Amino acid sequence: MDPAGQSPVPDTLKIVVAGGFGAGKTTLVSALSEVESLHTEEVMTSESVGVDDLGGVEGKSTTTVALDFGRVTLDASTVVYLFGTPGQRRFAFMWEELAQGALGAVVLADTRRLADSFDVIDFFESRGVPFVVAVNCFDGQRTHRAEDVRVALDVAEGVPVLLCDARERESVKEVVVELVSLVLRLELSGA
Amino acid sequence: MSAGSSEEEGWSAESSLIRPYSLTGGRTRPSRSDFSMTSQVVAAPSVDAQEVDPELELILSVCARPVSVAELASRSGFPLGVLRVLLADLLDRGQVMVHTSGWERQRPDAQTLRMVLERIREL
Repeated sequence: MDPAGQSPVPDTLKIVVAGGFGAGKTTLVSALSEVESLHTEEVMTSESVGVDDLGGVEGKSTTTVALDFGRVTLDASTVVYLFGTPGQRRFAFMWEELAQGALGAVVLADTRRLADSFDVIDFFESRGVPFVVAVNCFDGQRTHRAEDVRVALDVAEGVPVLLCDARERESVKEVVVELVSLVLRLELSGA
Repeated sequence: MSAGSSEEEGWSAESSLIRPYSLTGGRTRPSRSDFSMTSQVVAAPSVDAQEVDPELELILSVCARPVSVAELASRSGFPLGVLRVLLADLLDRGQVMVHTSGWERQRPDAQTLRMVLERIREL
């Protein structure tokens, strides 16, 4: 596209942040985003069951899914978007859309509800989306060991598992650096 | 919300299902699939001032400068599904231009990834 010599149009990288309710997705996105966390919604309609018009939609079940996201400009030509998405299976239709063309994903785990992460981990594994598991130790509780979480979640050896504090910018940067490093290793190994 | 709050336009696209889709004539699918969540959209320089519907005018005002589809949804108040239908109409009429990063189809090369790592560390 040629925007007639106006503002340059950047290339974009997409990172998906998936986690259960209360795991800290919005907090993590906000910690890194240069703009206040943005918000939009997707209406799950009869479209998702393959019907084209909305005739009789009153009788169909519809779900509105809130989507929080943030933006990080790396330079004039490169922008990273972070999209938070709920980790429950009933939101899988959003995972499909977000995983499409994503650089990778962060699975934000809450140690009180580790099982909430199983479905989305299965999903990223099956789609070949590179991901890291970040264990959000809010309340300053770094009482968990990343290795214990790895065992509990049964993730593959190559998947980084790290502790983080989703409120802390430096900590979130570490998580994203870990993810991009993983993608770089995959690229270099030809995977 | 500065640029184009839907409230200012006298109607709201907020969570009502029927109402936003009435703006698309009941269509739930766009006429084309050029728009990913991170595709950058920018209004085309207008040759002559065309009469456009208020909801399209709102979209055009928000994307006066390049902006992602997701941000456009956030700032216009339209759910993504509705926005995509309207954007496809605008694209068909030559009123917007769209750019989807090649990185959506292919992972960035090692050099780009190293640059990204460096920049993130510098943030």
